[in-house]
Amino acid sequence: MSQTKEEILKLLFQHKETFISGQAICEQLGCSRTAVWKHITELRKEGYTIESVQKRGYKLLEAPKRLTKEEVLANLNSRYFGKVIDFHEVVPSTQKIAHHLAEDGATHGTLVLADEQAGGRGRLGRVWHSPKGTGIWMSLILKPDLTINRIPQLTLLAAVAIVRSIKKVSDVDCSIKWPNDILFEGKKLVGILTELQSEMENVRAVIIGMGINVNIEWADMPAEIRDIATSLKIITGKTQSRVMLIQTIMTELEKLYDLYLNEGFEVIKPMWETYALSIGKVIRARTMQGEVLQGVAKGINNDGVLLLEDDQGVVHHIYSADIEI
Amino acid sequence: MLKVEELKELIQLIDDSSIDEFEYEVENSKVVLKKNKEVVVTTVAEPVVQHVAPQSPAQPTQVSQSTQKPVDNNAQEDLNTDSNLHKIESPMVGTFYAKPSPEKENFVKKGSKVDADSVVCIIEAMKLFNEIEADVKGEIVEVLVEDGQLVEYGQPLFLVKAE
Repeated sequence: MSQTKEEILKLLFQHKETFISGQAICEQLGCSRTAVWKHITELRKEGYTIESVQKRGYKLLEAPKRLTKEEVLANLNSRYFGKVIDFHEVVPSTQKIAHHLAEDGATHGTLVLADEQAGGRGRLGRVWHSPKGTGIWMSLILKPDLTINRIPQLTLLAAVAIVRSIKKVSDVDCSIKWPNDILFEGKKLVGILTELQSEMENVRAVIIGMGINVNIEWADMPAEIRDIATSLKIITGKTQSRVMLIQTIMTELEKLYDLYLNEGFEVIKPMWETYALSIGKVIRARTMQGEVLQGVAKGINNDGVLLLEDDQGVVHHIYSADIEI
Repeated sequence: MLKVEELKELIQLIDDSSIDEFEYEVENSKVVLKKNKEVVVTTVAEPVVQHVAPQSPAQPTQVSQSTQKPVDNNAQEDLNTDSNLHKIESPMVGTFYAKPSPEKENFVKKGSKVDADSVVCIIEAMKLFNEIEADVKGEIVEVLVEDGQLVEYGQPLFLVKAE
């Protein structure tokens, strides 16, 4: 899409309830009336219903259901997060693209967003089912001035931001399973995969990949995940706005990130604990080498490390494990 | 017998390294260097019982870590002194992954040739995945940790013979 057309579409989204005159568009974008008319015609062909009334101008009545970056950008209230969007109809994985962009000097807060991921991946190469038009598949690039040991805390912070955004937009209360799985009644709703680009202790970029099951129907889920995954539509019975959710996540994440930079993890920790599923309960932590540690989850420490007290009263610091509840 | 210049150089080398104690015995002389307290240099003539060739320094011993609680890394003694060997260390506490996913091949193994930007492993903590690069061009001569093992901050993971 041409730059001017993108800008016109953004303006139409911003003035969704009212008319915007052709003259106003020309002045804001510095183009001719003919150019505006030409782009409006093209947008109509692409499926946008745009009303035009003499002397009043243009009004966007309906946009195609698909996700567009113009709609996300139109009413985005953040300062950095998501202000630059690299949008794709279909990609192998937003995470991979974000890695390349970060290496090529993408700015702090750049968001890679896709309507469909053909090869969406979770951790350790696990497949993340991300079908067209039903979810939010995105990767946020951060260039934090933080030491490497603080970066894992960002994965907990991201989980808090998403839980709060889901509550705001869809009024659904979800929980966090340490460190950052987001569940609703025990079923997975959101997956977060955070990756780091670093040179030893020097952090170059952090890429937070987020996969959110928004409008996928139960029947459309692959059989193998039907019992363990859910979506906002399955939970609420209603189609949810992906655009609003993306916008809210960007502003929430940015707000918490600023708070974290100013006041440290100490202020994020109690928020995380509010949503944490396992605190005070007996859980099992399974390490990669198959060791299983059972005990009561006491909470997290100021690094975000899970504290697990076994029946001998010994508190173990869990840095890395799969939690079974 | 070592010349004064050679001794000086040796002291400098030991001083710059992480070695605490150094012992060198050849023919009728023995040199003992100790660090961190005070540098003691002793050269004594001793009857030679057996001829000890100058030994190449021992490889770093791997402190096995299977506990979840990290220990102070300073406690970990590093005996590697071969300056040609580059150590790839873990930049954080976490799980060491030798391969990108369970069914795939290891990123590298002993004998693998690597470039500075070759990924050699992944370290994960709290679902944060950090791909570790070799940082030097060369050959992996030793893999010091096992797949799935918990590693400490600063723990050596690989030895690379730099080209």
